[in-house]
Amino acid sequence: MGMRVGVDIGGTFIDFCLWDETKEELHSLKVLTTPQTPGAELLRGLDLLQERHGVRPSDITSFVHGTTVGINTVIQRKGASLALLTTENFEDVVELARLRMPEAYSLFSRRGAPLVPRDRIFGIRERMLSDGTVEQAVDEASVVTAVEKALAKGVDGIVISLLNAYRNPAHEAQVAAIAARVAPQLFVFRSSEVWPIIREYERTTTALINGYVHPKVSDYLEKLIEGLESRGVTAEPLITKSNGGIMRAELGKRACVSMVLSGTASGVMGAAWVAREAGHPNVITLDIGGTSADVALIIDGRPQFGLGEKIGDLPLYIPSVAVSSIGDGGGSIAWVDGFGVLKVGPESAGSAPGPACYGRGGTLPTITDAFAVCGFLGQHDLAYGAFRPDVALARAAIGTLASRINLGLEQTAEAIIRIAISGMFVEVNKLVARYGVDTRDFALLPFGGAGPMLGCFLARELGMQRVLIPSRPGVVSALGGLVANVKNDFIRTLFIMASDGDANRLRDAAKALQAAGTAWLRDDQEFTGEAAYVWFADMRYRGQSFEIEVPLADGLIETGDMAAIAEAFHRAHEGIYDFCDRDSAVQIMNLRLVVSGASLKPYLRPLARAVSEAPVAEQTLKVFFDGDWHDVPFYRRAALEAHHRFSGPCVIVQDDTTACVPPGFGATVDGSGNIVLERAE
Amino acid sequence: MKVDKVTLEILANHMRAAAESMAYTLYRTAHSTFVKETEDFTIQILDAAGRTAAVPMDLGATWYPGLDYGRAIPMISSYEPGDIALTNDPYSGYLATHTPDLVLWKPIFHEGELLCFTAGHIHNTDMGGAVPASLSRALTEIHQEGIRFKPTKLYRAGVLNQELLDVMMTNVRKPDLNVGDLKAFVGAMNTGERKVRELIVKFGADTLRQGMSDLLDYAEHQAREILRSIPDGEYFFSDYADEDGPDGYPARLAVTLRINGDSAILDFTGSDPQLTSSLNVPTGGNPHHTLMLVGVYYILYSLNPNLVLNFGLTRPFHCILPEGTVVNPQFPAAVGMRSLTCGRIRSLLFGAFGQAMPERMPAAPAGSSSIVNVMTHDDRTGEAVIAAVNPVVGGSGGMPTGDGTNGSGADAAYLKNTPVEITEAEVPIRFRRYGLASGTGGAGRWRGGLATHMEFQVFTPNTRITARNRDRCRFQAWGVLGGKAGRGSTMSLNPGRPDMRVLNNIDTFTAGPGDIVSIVSPGGGGRGDPLDREPERVLRDVICNYVAIADAEAEYGVVLTGLGDDRGIDLAVDLPATEALRAQRRRNEPHPHFHFGAAREAYERVWTRSAYDAMTALLASLPVHWRFFVKRKLMEGLQREGSGAADVQAVWQALLAELPYIRPERAAAE
Repeated sequence: MGMRVGVDIGGTFIDFCLWDETKEELHSLKVLTTPQTPGAELLRGLDLLQERHGVRPSDITSFVHGTTVGINTVIQRKGASLALLTTENFEDVVELARLRMPEAYSLFSRRGAPLVPRDRIFGIRERMLSDGTVEQAVDEASVVTAVEKALAKGVDGIVISLLNAYRNPAHEAQVAAIAARVAPQLFVFRSSEVWPIIREYERTTTALINGYVHPKVSDYLEKLIEGLESRGVTAEPLITKSNGGIMRAELGKRACVSMVLSGTASGVMGAAWVAREAGHPNVITLDIGGTSADVALIIDGRPQFGLGEKIGDLPLYIPSVAVSSIGDGGGSIAWVDGFGVLKVGPESAGSAPGPACYGRGGTLPTITDAFAVCGFLGQHDLAYGAFRPDVALARAAIGTLASRINLGLEQTAEAIIRIAISGMFVEVNKLVARYGVDTRDFALLPFGGAGPMLGCFLARELGMQRVLIPSRPGVVSALGGLVANVKNDFIRTLFIMASDGDANRLRDAAKALQAAGTAWLRDDQEFTGEAAYVWFADMRYRGQSFEIEVPLADGLIETGDMAAIAEAFHRAHEGIYDFCDRDSAVQIMNLRLVVSGASLKPYLRPLARAVSEAPVAEQTLKVFFDGDWHDVPFYRRAALEAHHRFSGPCVIVQDDTTACVPPGFGATVDGSGNIVLERAE
Repeated sequence: MKVDKVTLEILANHMRAAAESMAYTLYRTAHSTFVKETEDFTIQILDAAGRTAAVPMDLGATWYPGLDYGRAIPMISSYEPGDIALTNDPYSGYLATHTPDLVLWKPIFHEGELLCFTAGHIHNTDMGGAVPASLSRALTEIHQEGIRFKPTKLYRAGVLNQELLDVMMTNVRKPDLNVGDLKAFVGAMNTGERKVRELIVKFGADTLRQGMSDLLDYAEHQAREILRSIPDGEYFFSDYADEDGPDGYPARLAVTLRINGDSAILDFTGSDPQLTSSLNVPTGGNPHHTLMLVGVYYILYSLNPNLVLNFGLTRPFHCILPEGTVVNPQFPAAVGMRSLTCGRIRSLLFGAFGQAMPERMPAAPAGSSSIVNVMTHDDRTGEAVIAAVNPVVGGSGGMPTGDGTNGSGADAAYLKNTPVEITEAEVPIRFRRYGLASGTGGAGRWRGGLATHMEFQVFTPNTRITARNRDRCRFQAWGVLGGKAGRGSTMSLNPGRPDMRVLNNIDTFTAGPGDIVSIVSPGGGGRGDPLDREPERVLRDVICNYVAIADAEAEYGVVLTGLGDDRGIDLAVDLPATEALRAQRRRNEPHPHFHFGAAREAYERVWTRSAYDAMTALLASLPVHWRFFVKRKLMEGLQREGSGAADVQAVWQALLAELPYIRPERAAAE
């Protein structure tokens, strides 16, 4: 029994979530980030945990950390200077990418700059064929020349990505060995070790991201490990991964790419856990902060996993928790165009200068300012008492627009909220159409600093009946670390037919993956608990251009039951695309293994049942909605108890967020302290 | 009464969301690679008059936000709930623009009154006709391009017209693909109806009806606002397709852009007569036809990324499209490869608008994207294999404040490639090269984007290769304001070998075991004087091999030192020498607006503007079926540099003497 700590670093705050196993209590904490001295806020947080909750470093039995150091390194382009070695005559694999530009209608559209400039890309004379046979052996001299040129350019490390290395990694290994001999001081990553998928651009870019963030991530984790040790924390730190799992921080020093989306993924994992515990298997999570608004789908209690998640302007092709951006958060700026139409975004005031009402120098009207003008914000402090929004500044900012669209100040603010919501509606709608699900079967789970502020309005727009506001919306990501399992992904590209003749190749690949998975879990991760091995095949009809992921039931690979494997694919295809074609040949592109070891999940003692059903409002607020001022009750979240019932319109404030509940919603507090809002029919 | 502007913005978002839902449904459930991989489809929501009111932004082709169904819809006399209509006939209402494009529309009624339509198109892999995929430059009449359906009901009050479907399936080469896509397409129409019904509940039918009308006004206002910011004036421009058919002469596209306040006339008089090949663009003379305005959408969107995309954008523009020309062919001219000509029409508009607002427009993008297909045998299985290889796309033109993008961009930005590793695993070919072609971007203060160079080897006899949209081998992507034209495209078999064969614009050929096909796309044009490019930037381009070492001095006047070091790290700019050389090269006269490159300059020394104008005027006076023939005769006959109208007349008179069957006086009487 001890204290388990989850920590997540965001743009403005670093969040702590503490699970006290003895007392069966969950606590949370936020500390402002200190960009000048990264890492300092972590130690400050440890001090506060001790001050406020009496947590001594030696009490901490588990420390799980989600960090943005990887993603920030990519977005700010502050990573390593790399050399890339490719097959000769294919040096432009990263610059050509998959050709398509981000904006199809613009003559000025361009992709993000590659992580390695063209003068640091060197062709190697060699050729591996698609069946894994060698057409031309590695020309050692071309490798030596390339590495010497790279050294002369002063690179920090080398990434090797050769054509068809997914099928046979021998040439990459050979090139790596030569590179290590010629330039032992440089770090080397091979595409076939980082993530050996077919598709040269996707594999190369994944390996490049790994190399690009490696020095910064490795350095950061080293300092983290040292910092915790120096404070007397004996538990070895774990870090959250893009796939929603966790691993030892020590492993993250080389497997950097697997933790690039650490923060966003653990937010979804935390939300999924909250939703499951509360008995809502189908949930759309809505994470809104000052600078971002993200949604994710949780179906049957499970997050969705995708390839090609975005890191800034680059795609990432390792399995990651699928998250879609639907806007730029509470800081999105409202403006009026030449036709007199009010617009919201895409420009954002971000976290600096931030919304006008934050009083940090921002003067442009933002979504957050609109909420302040409407009276939802400003009567109370935000962010654990860090500051109080200044309504006068918000009114001044919104006032610049009101005169231009001939509406009153509050009407303008309400219009901003409605337009912002309709913009988010477009994006959520696309996500829903992509997955072919019906929003009416889902609950919305808003979290992050601004999620509960906008959540009910968005749910109403989407026709969703239910909104679930977790008890600590501000620290769901930190909570995600506490509930995540140790987990890693393994892949082998096969490109075989789902027919009996290829059963042995499937079996051999499974054996190799199983061995690699076990070695990772037991040796690298040093996990001793019970292990789970889940198999997937990425399959398609021959001639299709993308695969779908199909879970393979236990024993199918072992027995080589290819007919059953093909049938599983037909069904999955029908489920997603509304048709299947049992006459078509089925290809197995990849065999994948997900190895995981379960962590202990927090157990929360049910809250004491409220004596009376009706909570007592702390005061009455004047709030503007539906075109007029209304008196609405104002509740403190801390004063709400299990089984309290009340209804919108109302405002609920807590240390880390403010929830705005429009009319038409009935609210109940459940046994875990979540607020369940249901729309009256 | 107009919808208030707050509601209008919210409605615009909801309309787009409905369109995006339709597009995702189609994309998710379609069968063919044309829909799935190439995204050759579009979705629209139309007002009751058939004008596009909303389109998706995420998925699909970029050509049809201004599509007007107004002529096709009334070709069916009445509609009732549950109907879905279709057409693929380019000559029935000028809606479908070649036969593989199947257009669908579904009327949505509310309380017995027609409210709007959900609509869209998909490109079918094949619609029958003379050649697989129904498309070839060599075809000369529409009947060779497959089975055609004039506007007809596929569903009548919710009941499928099975006989119609059977006729279609009997006549096409891949019926399963067509049916699969059609099912998905119908599903998308129905998704659209459901979404529209949600809009009715949310906004009310009256607001929705009025809102669609206001959204058209909104887009129109945005377009007019941009036009007002462009100086009034008359701007002429012409551009050429390399060939007007197999082994042909150039085909000129010409436009006179007249901007007057917040409206513009696009007069295409002077464009070539309709062609006896499939490069014609079927517009029916519709002054707002979307195919003629695709370049306009790009320009407007580039100048205002908040543009609302719908039919309203086309209102301030009026196209003059003389009948019997390549931009308004008469039935039954073939139109299958109108995409090649449309590429030229886009660059034509970029050039015309570029003269009107030089400071805001880029140089010409590469302008030709070859779509490459291979039909070969797999010796491992003995099976015949047909596969798309990769589009070979060039870079965009130099921008007002940046270089053109390399290898793709501008009006080809929507194309995707297929990974080399996937193609090699599926098709028995081996890639020998896939990358950028150094030195192909036009020199300039801002350099043109580089071309793509793709080479692959085939291994079995009688391997059939098609490369559609081949163009820009002869006439290059032009540079502007002192910037140079991008390098032209090339295609050849076995480059550097004794059996090398130059193919260039030949778009169908056969290769044998061991043959290597090499395609270099065109490069983008440069913008601004190369002598003004920062020497450091030129050095960087040389270090990165975007620009050849020799070109640094030849094109940019930058003198480099340290050339002996093959690692390239000793390379440096000799600043004093560079400044001296540049000073010596600078001319104290303004640059001509365009740089076209040697081929067009040479061609226009013979076919001067006055000569070409005289020819197109003369051809316009002839019966349509004589025009292409006479054009070729005149082209053969006029070879002297510095020709003018009189020389064209002389050749014409000689031709009349030789061929007395031509009866110009009868044409005039027609």
